[in-house]
Parts: sequence; C-alpha cells; structure tokens
Amino acid sequence: MSDELDEIQAIFFEECAEGLVTAEQGLSAMAGGDVSADVIAGVFRAVHSIKGGAGAFGHAALTAFSHRFENVLDEVRAGRIAPTPGVTAVMLTAFDILSDHVEASKGTAPAPADAAALAALDEVLATGGAGTPAAPVAAATPVIEAADDFGFTPVTAVIDDLDPFGFEPIGVMLEDLDPQPAEAPSEVAGWTVRFAPSRSALANGGEPLLVVREVEHLGGSVVDIDCSALPPLRDLDPEESYMVWTLSAPATLPQADIAECFDFVSPDSIIEITRAEPPADTDLELAPSSAAAAPDPGHAAPEPTSATTAFSPNRAPEPEVLALAVVPKSDTPRAAEPAAQTIRVDLTKLDMLLNLVGELVIRNSILTDRLSPKEQQRVELPELARLTREIQDNVMSLRAQPIKQAFSRVPRMLRDLSVETGKLVLLETTGESTEVDKGVIEKIGDPLTHMIRNAVDHGIESPDDRAAVGKPREGTIRLSAEQKSARIFVRVSDDGRGIDRARVRAKAVEKGIIPADAVLSNEEIDQLICAPGFSTAESISNISGRGVGMDVVRSNVEALGGRVEISSVPGQGTTFTMILPLTLAILDGMVVRLAGQRYVLPLATVVESVKPEPGQVRPMSRTTEVIELRGNYLPVRRLGDLFGFGGKGRAPEDSLVIIVESEAGHVGLMVDTIEDRREVVIKSLDQNLHPIRGLGGATILGDGSIALILDVEALVGSSASAPQHSLKGLAA
Amino acid sequence: MSTTNSPGERKMVTFSLGQQMFGIDMNALIEIREWEEPTPLPGVAPFIKGVTNLRGTVIPVVGLAERIGWPASKIHSRSCILVVNISGNQCGFLVDEVADIVLIKDEDVQPAPDMETAENVIRGLVQISTRATDGSQGEAGTMVSLLDLNALSLTRQLDFAA
Repeated sequence: MSDELDEIQAIFFEECAEGLVTAEQGLSAMAGGDVSADVIAGVFRAVHSIKGGAGAFGHAALTAFSHRFENVLDEVRAGRIAPTPGVTAVMLTAFDILSDHVEASKGTAPAPADAAALAALDEVLATGGAGTPAAPVAAATPVIEAADDFGFTPVTAVIDDLDPFGFEPIGVMLEDLDPQPAEAPSEVAGWTVRFAPSRSALANGGEPLLVVREVEHLGGSVVDIDCSALPPLRDLDPEESYMVWTLSAPATLPQADIAECFDFVSPDSIIEITRAEPPADTDLELAPSSAAAAPDPGHAAPEPTSATTAFSPNRAPEPEVLALAVVPKSDTPRAAEPAAQTIRVDLTKLDMLLNLVGELVIRNSILTDRLSPKEQQRVELPELARLTREIQDNVMSLRAQPIKQAFSRVPRMLRDLSVETGKLVLLETTGESTEVDKGVIEKIGDPLTHMIRNAVDHGIESPDDRAAVGKPREGTIRLSAEQKSARIFVRVSDDGRGIDRARVRAKAVEKGIIPADAVLSNEEIDQLICAPGFSTAESISNISGRGVGMDVVRSNVEALGGRVEISSVPGQGTTFTMILPLTLAILDGMVVRLAGQRYVLPLATVVESVKPEPGQVRPMSRTTEVIELRGNYLPVRRLGDLFGFGGKGRAPEDSLVIIVESEAGHVGLMVDTIEDRREVVIKSLDQNLHPIRGLGGATILGDGSIALILDVEALVGSSASAPQHSLKGLAA
Repeated sequence: MSTTNSPGERKMVTFSLGQQMFGIDMNALIEIREWEEPTPLPGVAPFIKGVTNLRGTVIPVVGLAERIGWPASKIHSRSCILVVNISGNQCGFLVDEVADIVLIKDEDVQPAPDMETAENVIRGLVQISTRATDGSQGEAGTMVSLLDLNALSLTRQLDFAA
C-alpha cells in the first residue's frame, strides 16, 4: 500500500518537475515581454496543479506557498494585476522558492525560507488591489480558496470595479449579466436546431412562428432561414412548406426542453437537435470570465486621464484586454484535448525497445549481406529494410526531447549566482529545440551546471571591473545547442576575462599535475582545467570551488562518449563546448580496412578519397607527412600510427588517403582500403567498458563481427597537439 | 543451471590460469564461449584484448591472467571466455580452461591473507577436492583462489586503462 502511495507520489513529483519547467518557461517569457494570456494561463495552471497535488499528498508548506503564489497569478490572469516587470520579478523569485519547496517536499532539501517571497507576493496582491478603486480585490483573497478553481469571484469583482466608472459601462454590463448571460456564447457552443416543417405540419395548423417564438422564449434565437427552396411567385404552392430554420439554443437547456417546443409539429417534419462542438460544461464555466472580459475595455478606455502611477498596474490596456478575451479559448482546447494524449512509459522499456530495434537493423544488414540482389528482391528485403528504418526512427524519436529541458534550469541558476556574486549576467540561448536523446539530456545537467557556474565565477568579471575595461557592466553567457551530423554541440560561452593561462599553469605545477618544466601549448594549458583535482578558485567559493570541477564535466561528458573542448581568448571570454553523440543514432559510414580490421568513418566527415601516386605523400618532418593535393599540402595521419599498432604499414602507394573534414581543417587519414559504405548502428563502448579517445563507439557488421567507429575530431585533434601521452593522462 | 543455493553455500565455477586454479561465483556467470579473436582496441591497457559481439552487445574481452598480474595466457584449443556480469556491466574473461562447478560452504572460505599487493582481487581461498572421473570425490587439496569480481570491474578502472 505504502509502495503504491510512493509510486503515485513519485508521479506527482514528476508532474511537479514538468509543471516547474512549464512555469519557468512561462515566467521567463513574461520577463522577456511576452505577457499573452496563453503564457500567463500556462503558468497559472502549472502552479495550480502543483498546489492540487501537494494538497492531496499533505505537503502543507508546499500547498500553502503555492496557494499564495496562485492568488497572485490568478489576479494577473484575470487582468487585475498587470504583469509589469516588477510583478514578474516577484513571481520569478516566488517560482524559485516554489521549486525549493518541491525539493523540500521530496525530502531532498531543507524547507526554504519563504517569508520574504510571501511578503512580496502579498504586497503585489495588496498594491494591485489598492491601485484600483475596488478594494474588494484584496478582500477577495480569503474568498479565493473556495472560488479559485473556476472562480465566480471575477464577476463580483468586476461589478465592484465598474461602479465608479459611470453609466456607460454599466449599460454594457447589464446586458452581459442578463439572466441569460450565455446568449452570445451560445451561438458558438449551444444547441443547434434545424427545423423544416413538412407540408402536412402546415396543413395541420402548425404555425412555425409559434414554435420559433417558443424556442426564443427559452433563450434561443434564429440563426439562419434557408429560403433557397422558395420558388418564383407564380410557381408557389401556398400550401407547401419551403423554409428551413436554423435555431440556436443555450447550452444549459436540457435537450428535452427544446424537443418539447416541437411536440405539436407533425412528425414528418425535419427536426434535428444537435450540439455544437465543444462540451457545454466548459463553456458555461468560462462564460463569466468572458463576460468579465467585456467590461474591461470599457473601464480601461474612459480612464486614461485619471490614471496615475498608482493606477498603472491596471493600465497596460490593449494586450491585457486582448489577452483576457483569449483566456476561454486557451482553456477550451485543454478541456477537449483528446488529440494530444500522452502516456507515461518506463524509460527502461523504451531502452529495451530501442535495443531490439537495433538488433533488427543489424539482422537486416546480415540478410542484405547474405542474399544476392535477386533474392533480396524476391523476398522483398528492401521493403523490410525501409520499414525497419522507419521503426527505428520512430523509436528514436520517442526518446528524443528538446534540449530545452536541460537548459531550463539555467535561468534560475543564473539568478541565484548573480545574487551570490553580485555579477550581472545576461543569458542568450539558441537552439533550444534541438532534439537529443533523453539519456543525454539527463546526463548533461551536471556538466552544464558546472560550466555555467564556472563561467560566472571565473569568467565574468564584476560590473566595476567590466566597466573599467570598457565592457558593458552586464556579462553575457551564451548557451547554444546544435546538431552536426551525428553529434550534438552544446556550447557555453562567456564574454569574461578568459583563461589566465599563467595562473592555470602555476596552479597545475603547484598541485603536481604537471612537472615544472613541462612545455605546454595554450590548448594543453586550457585542458588542464579539466584535470582531476584542479581548481584555481583562490578561495573555495560556494559556487564553483566545491572541490570537484571541470574534471567532473569532462568525465561525465566522456562517459557519454563525448568530449569537451575549450577555447579562450584572454580578455574576451571562454567557450566550453560539449560534443555529444546522439545515442544509438544510425550512422552513415564508410567502412575502411586497416591491418586486417575494419573501421567505420562517419560519412559526414569524408570529403574524398585519394589513391596517392608515388611521391604524392611526403615526409615533412621525422614524424609528420603531407599529401599534395591539387597544389595544397594537407597533413596526413597514418591510422595505424595513431592507434599505436606500430609497424610501417603499407607504402602510401598501396594505401588510400581519405580526406576528412575536421575543425582543424582537412586532414588525410591513411588506411589500407575502402570496403563498403553502409548505415551502421552505433553501440557504445562505455556501456561495458569506458570511452576510448579516438573512437565514437563500435558497430556490429552484417557478419556479426565488430567494427570500431572512428571519432575523426578526436583522432585528428589528439594527434595535432604533440605529446599524445599528456592528453591521454588527462583524459583518464 | 539453477543458481539457488542453500544459505551458507554457493556454487563456484573453477578454471585454470597457468598452473593456478581460480573460482568465480556462479551467479555472476552469463555464459562460457569458445575463444574467438576479439576486435582489438587502440589505446587501451594491454590486458584488454578487445571487444566482441555478445548477441548484439559489445563487450570487452580481458586477458584475466595479465589483469591479475600473471603471464599472459597462450591461446590453445581449450581456451575459452567466461562472460560475467559485474554489477550490471558485461565482460568476458579469457581463461585457460574451465574445470568444474563446485559447491562450497562459506565457512570453508578463508579470507585471503593480507599481502602487499597493489590491488587485491582475491576474495578468499578455499580447498576443493578434485572430482575423479567416476564422479566420486577424488584427491583433496587443490587451492582455489576466489576472485572478487567487483575489483575486476573495468568501468571502475578508468585510470588503470588510460
């Protein structure tokens, strides 16, 4: 039983997490100036459902806080408090506390101190109310508990609001508050009656006008009269019935009441009573709020002159009013949203599925290998392969999530960091919608946190220092994600002071990471940041000197089969790039052979292959070679040497040089032969072993043997920076 | 291949490396396969012979003798690979010859004497009787070193491997 409860509770926390993400995205959008009703309603819903769940599980503190938060959101949503930057800032702070409360409820963190945030919220509530002539807004707070689900309070509040504004608006209101308030909306959402009395109905004395009047008496109205059947006057049969009425009736009416109006109409008449699309219930509940929307333009419009600063929360007229009018619309699809149903699936089940599909792909290529093209056609193998591919794409997409999820915690972190450090930081995010495997998203959270902390703590200077060197007082952190072939590039760059290489070097010597006389290139010094146990923070700050550091970033990323690249320009900033694989992507690869083994080169990196003429490949120094290609000299690496297989290998004339594209430019890789070009399924090496530099994984070929997948960037990169050993040592 | 043991007893697979007998817990054993040359990996510790395909999963193959500090095994017709599960990770160990499956009592296992070794991969020592061909208990007195599989975990040996 308690297990079951735990399980449900776990689901609740999962939903909390999703709710928090939604709320934060909404709030961030609001902070960015997007105060559309959709956004506000989204935030409100998120907080509201957290409150609901928290109540059900007895998390009193969380319930209490989210309730207070929700009160403010409700007012903002109803348009009684304008989402000014000030209000949004208060809500952002409240959001931070709310997420802390969620953590506290999970038991993973102590309960946060929320007094300040609560006071700020209350103040917003109070001033938002005091600014308007209608004191009842503040008074409404105690009522809201009962009403906030789909409150009718808005209606009463609106009436109070309106009183001081003279007669014109009230005239509008009266109509709206008519005993049949749903009259206007009912045209959209109520009953629709199609009525075509038959000839015999008329002959029996049935008077359509009476019937129509009866419907009108119930609150209905005539929408349309179809006279198209009416013949020219000379052909008119006075006893025939030609007209078809379309009537509407309020959604509140029971169908029987409407049917009753037609009781005395001859049964061979056409009487169709149908419901308009959206379920009536939602419309009913929404009606008051759309009624509430109507007077707003009224009261906003006559007021502008009398509006003072105190009034400003209610002023921001146009978008707000528009927004209000949209609220019901954004709510309606939620009520009737069968199209976007989701189910929760255990990730391990997806993994299993993914693995099986991988097997299927491999079996397919085994069949392709073993059957002659003719036989392949006979058993419709291409068709099977296409299906398999589609299944795989679909299964992959099940696990793919926009990287936004990992990015969404950054704004909050930056707010905290900027409070802690007193540094001003702007965040620019691009490529949030890049889709990455869920496993990758989960695992880059920590590295990302470290990189951001690092950027703020070590990179960005204090506002005064920045001003002193002529930079804007706010530092900027750019967070970007993009997919390039089978890799995801996640970059964190700052415009701070850059890496102080002399200091890094000194520190590394001091910590015994490198010998004092080591000769290191700039890149190698930058890489030292990622060495285990390295931290240059002079004093261990709360933020990034936690004893762990960039080595965690590096080991986490390498555990994912990725790597970290650092580039830094002193005085201008530092960029950390995480280069991550798409898990189990199908890779379009070129299978090459070297020393009896097969390797797969990602086709995306292959520019061309060259069969060197004698003398085309020349030694440049004792250990380096170049190939002359159409007048250009490109570096050539012997794959065998890179892998330390030793031996002289084949002569260049008996080999092939594959020109690959890397960030270091075009480089030739010398292999024995090209065997094939095919799609391969990437199997990670680190699942059972550990990542190996230079390899992006392995794949199983059609005959069941394994071919290693080459990571061109790492291969070319690691050979470019001379002493291979030091790099390897750092990688460990 | 039932692996349910009565309390205090466990099944061990015994095998030889050179002249030495070793044992691993039967529960960790996934399968025993014939030796097949694995795909060599660049830039890894010498004891990692390469990777092989275990029904669609890429698993490393480790020369167990070298891994625990003995001279490398020579491949012969009875060489085989013990595929084991070490806390969720699969790994193949090259051994010279699989000997037997024996039932041993926990109380018969002596903790390995604390020797000054770089890393202790021996969990305990036990004496077993070799089984005679007719199935009866044969001569007693073969020492078997029980291996601590967790200490052999590859994913933990990052620094060692690099």
